[in-house]
Amino acid sequence: MTPVALALTVLLAPLGSAAVIALFLRRQGTLASAVSLAAALAVAVAGLGLALGGDAYRFNASTEWLKLGSFSLSLGFKFDDLAALMLSIVGIVGVCVHVFSLGYMHDDEAKARYFGGLSIFMFSMLGIVFADNLFMMFIFWELVGFSSYLLINHWHERAAPAAASKKAFIANRVGDFGFLLGIVMCYWANHTVNLSELDALAAKDGLVFSALIPLLLFCGAVGKSAQLPLQVWLPDAMEGPTPVSALIHAATMVAAGIYMLCRINVLMVPDALTVIMWTGTATALYAALCAIVQSDIKKILAYSTLSQLGYMVAAFGLGSLAVAHGDHSHMVAAGVGAAMFHLMTHAFFKALMFLGSGSVIHGCHHEQDIFKMGGLKTKMPLTFATFTLGVLAIIGFPFLAGFFSKDAILYLAYAKNTPVFALLALTAVLTSFYMVRLWKITFLGAARSDAAAHAHEGGLTLTLPLVVLAILSVFGGYTALYPKVFSEVFVLIPIAHGTDHMVILITSVAVTVIGAASALVFYKSAATDSLGAKSPGLFGALTALQFSFDRGYDYYVAKVQQRFALFLNFLEQIFLAGLIVRGLAGIVGLVGLGARGLHVGRLNVYLYWFLLGLVILWIYATEIF
Amino acid sequence: MINLPFDPLLVAILAPLAVALAIACGLPKRFAVKLAYVGFGLPLLLALHVWFYHAAVPQTSGYAFLTAYSTGLEALGIGLKLGLNGISLPLFVLAGIVGFAAGLYAIQSGAERLKIYLMLLLVMQGGLMGVFASVDIFFFYFFHELALIPTFIMVGIWGGRDRNYAAMKLTIYLTAGAMLSLVGLIALYVKSGANSFDLIELRRVLAAQPLGDTVQQNIFGLLALGFGILVSIWPLHTWAPLGYGAAPSSAAMLHAGVLKKFGLYGLIQIALPLLPAGLVHWSHPIAWLAVIGNVLVIGFVTIAQRDLKQMVGYSSVMHMGYAFLGLAAGSTLGVGGVVLLMVAHGLSVALMFLLSTSVYHRTHTFALDEMGGLAQKAPVLAALFVAATFAGIGLPGFANFWGELTIFVALWEFSPLITALAVAGVVISAIYGLRAAAAVFFGPVTPEFAKVAAVNPVTDLRWSERLPALILLAALMFVGFWPKSLSTALDATLAPAPAARVAAAK
Repeated sequence: MTPVALALTVLLAPLGSAAVIALFLRRQGTLASAVSLAAALAVAVAGLGLALGGDAYRFNASTEWLKLGSFSLSLGFKFDDLAALMLSIVGIVGVCVHVFSLGYMHDDEAKARYFGGLSIFMFSMLGIVFADNLFMMFIFWELVGFSSYLLINHWHERAAPAAASKKAFIANRVGDFGFLLGIVMCYWANHTVNLSELDALAAKDGLVFSALIPLLLFCGAVGKSAQLPLQVWLPDAMEGPTPVSALIHAATMVAAGIYMLCRINVLMVPDALTVIMWTGTATALYAALCAIVQSDIKKILAYSTLSQLGYMVAAFGLGSLAVAHGDHSHMVAAGVGAAMFHLMTHAFFKALMFLGSGSVIHGCHHEQDIFKMGGLKTKMPLTFATFTLGVLAIIGFPFLAGFFSKDAILYLAYAKNTPVFALLALTAVLTSFYMVRLWKITFLGAARSDAAAHAHEGGLTLTLPLVVLAILSVFGGYTALYPKVFSEVFVLIPIAHGTDHMVILITSVAVTVIGAASALVFYKSAATDSLGAKSPGLFGALTALQFSFDRGYDYYVAKVQQRFALFLNFLEQIFLAGLIVRGLAGIVGLVGLGARGLHVGRLNVYLYWFLLGLVILWIYATEIF
Repeated sequence: MINLPFDPLLVAILAPLAVALAIACGLPKRFAVKLAYVGFGLPLLLALHVWFYHAAVPQTSGYAFLTAYSTGLEALGIGLKLGLNGISLPLFVLAGIVGFAAGLYAIQSGAERLKIYLMLLLVMQGGLMGVFASVDIFFFYFFHELALIPTFIMVGIWGGRDRNYAAMKLTIYLTAGAMLSLVGLIALYVKSGANSFDLIELRRVLAAQPLGDTVQQNIFGLLALGFGILVSIWPLHTWAPLGYGAAPSSAAMLHAGVLKKFGLYGLIQIALPLLPAGLVHWSHPIAWLAVIGNVLVIGFVTIAQRDLKQMVGYSSVMHMGYAFLGLAAGSTLGVGGVVLLMVAHGLSVALMFLLSTSVYHRTHTFALDEMGGLAQKAPVLAALFVAATFAGIGLPGFANFWGELTIFVALWEFSPLITALAVAGVVISAIYGLRAAAAVFFGPVTPEFAKVAAVNPVTDLRWSERLPALILLAALMFVGFWPKSLSTALDATLAPAPAARVAAAK
């Protein structure tokens, strides 16, 4: 198969699956899940074939989709190492989540709709990965938002998922408002939004630079990757089934914002990067603080995801790094390298932990409160072992995946901006703290509820994906093991040398140990939240911090937007429909301009007048008289 | 199959009219209904035929399938000339598809006095096919009136709440709009000196000797006002939500979906190429009215609606704002976007009216607060409604996306500020669209709806309701996935004509 045919297979297999399920398999859940899984397997196999195939499998291809005047929009592939890396992540995590879903959603009544939704999502996400121009990326960008809406709303008969899905889509639309304007502005500034053409323009200094373009485009990432101030939708999105949270709201879709930023790196200017860097840093710290006071296992992971996404955005915003090469140095897009590296390792260990939490929730009969768990170490040993590896990876335990990627980001911050470095290091302490807290309360100690006491490990479909992802979480950081693939991206990863190396290493190990040790000490007994008991003031402050944005938005929606809408509606009904129009109608009636024909109940009179007029015209025109 | 033994356009117009006539002559009901399938089906088949073969047949003066018929009115320059160019083809197809769907829905509706209802709908259908097939301005206008009168009667007789007031208001507004545009068209006819209503002839004469700028501006102003009322430009839009709220569903589908496009179509097909200086003069006032009034103010008013049908009516007014914005931008991209949006909006608003009525049959109310949880009982209805909602809010994969996207891109060249305000509308429409979908279908069943459902057991969408909905949805997705199916012909017609001249006039 040619690379293009292979890429088309990857893209269209899930679309075909979704179409077949929607049209024919609505009531055959088992068959639908098989079709969807087959599509995901095809994506993974063909996708990895493309991604690992080397230079022969890197290509650009496009076809015109719409043309009006001088405007032409094409549907095209830009398949470089960046896309290949992203494709590998989506393919692997996609298959793991599909397999896990077989077990997790086994008894669900609307299984067909669920798997159809997963297929639509895979199609949309792959479109973003392949897109060779910003319009096409926007198209699939909107489609992932739609599939996210469908899947969050899977249990639509409950009020919370219905509200959460709506909130997610609208928050994303707010970001997309800026994204679309940025694309349009970029189009008129540079007369192209094709990524390769933008690169080519940049290479010969032909780009029109404006801080507004990258900042508007960044709005899209703020929505999709849930950065401050649009982060509110992601914790609520946990109302969806847990495998969906793993695939969409942890590993792939929410990372699309970072991927998009890396795609448009050439458009960046220093001012825009500064804004991006601080947005990411603020999100990382804010979400880590919120994570400390959560008691719902999925909410903890959701805030952790927010925080890690903030890490990636901050890494991107830190920008390029001067790298010495003998006597002279040159600039390397280190931000892209660090962000994408962390995106990859995060996808593995966060998907692992979300699926692990799914396994826990499944084992505990849909109990999600960690304070009602405990003692799962012996009841669910495989889940415990893999989850432990996930926790170690995220807190940056030496030689696991997160260790390398977090060090790259910390080093970049250390080299570029000290305050950001300090804040990210603090975030790392908090990360270590809340993850070990989660891990200890869930798995260690004694069972604190009937559900936890009777917990059991799930079947092979539930455990196999955990093992695969655990292996990747352990080895995913060794980029040196696969130097030939994705080299365009991995060569950009910043690596500390000399004293810098020691500083970063010590910081990294120190933050991990401090966070983990304090959590172990602090949550010695885990019957209730120790923080709430020992320091209610701090606990209250952090809880208030978590709800501050939601309160603000709720106030805006109920007290500002709704009142404004009602006010305009009042004006509309009273002035336009009432006074002005009735007044005008009255005048018309007074003047008597054919008023008789307009009276209700005698509409047919109008018809007669019309016919009469026609006859007169005809007589006049044919000059009969 | 490329050459039919008859003129497809003429037959598409006459078939529904002939069936209407047969019903009027007292055909028994069971034959009337069967024949109605033919009356609605034939225009659809012929529309699809001309769509498929449009690129393949020879063109005269930019028109395919061009045929002239004698009317005995040649002394006034009036002849029945039928043909399709890239602008009218998409709308002709739209009329065929929506007409068929509305017809199917009407046949299964079980309306009282079904025969007369179908007869009026068929007259409307014939008129609609005629509007977009006419190359002659006189018949373009004539067919519009032919389609408009049954609308008034249907609202007056089969309408819902406030039908008397609604019918009167509809009549006053639409007659006023039609009159104003008629004055404009006659002025154009007189001033051009072409002594012909034939659009091709008018174009030829005015290309050789354009009207003076002042004349162009005045006539364009008249046409914009008249046509603008027909397309519900703010603040002359209040007939629309009220009228559609009261109209029976098939009439609302045909009027909001197709007939309402008459005004925009007239502006694009007649005013833009013949009066380019007029557009330049009026484009800013039109754009500001559209973006502040239609998009933002009506957008917020739509958010405030608590009645499903009113909400659909207002959202339709809002989306017409985008159409005016594309028109104001004036470029090939903008105007092409308007045509794409007209087709997309016509399909999606018809689908929304259809599904809203189907919702009503199950909930016995349009009040959003008294619904909830309908998806549990009617999953197919829910799926179609959600799809229609997402089409309406411009999700890629549906035709509406292309219309909105191209208009936004074109608008930036016209005014970045207005573009930013207009794009804000995509957030507003997401808010009201998803709110309504959630209120009707998701969450737990409300006590009010539980009471209704206890008395009237709720069933999912029947096939007779499903089929017209699926036809509309399929068309939306077909254009959504393959926009070139419309844009190629559109580009061929538009690219050489108005854009270049408007650009030059600037």
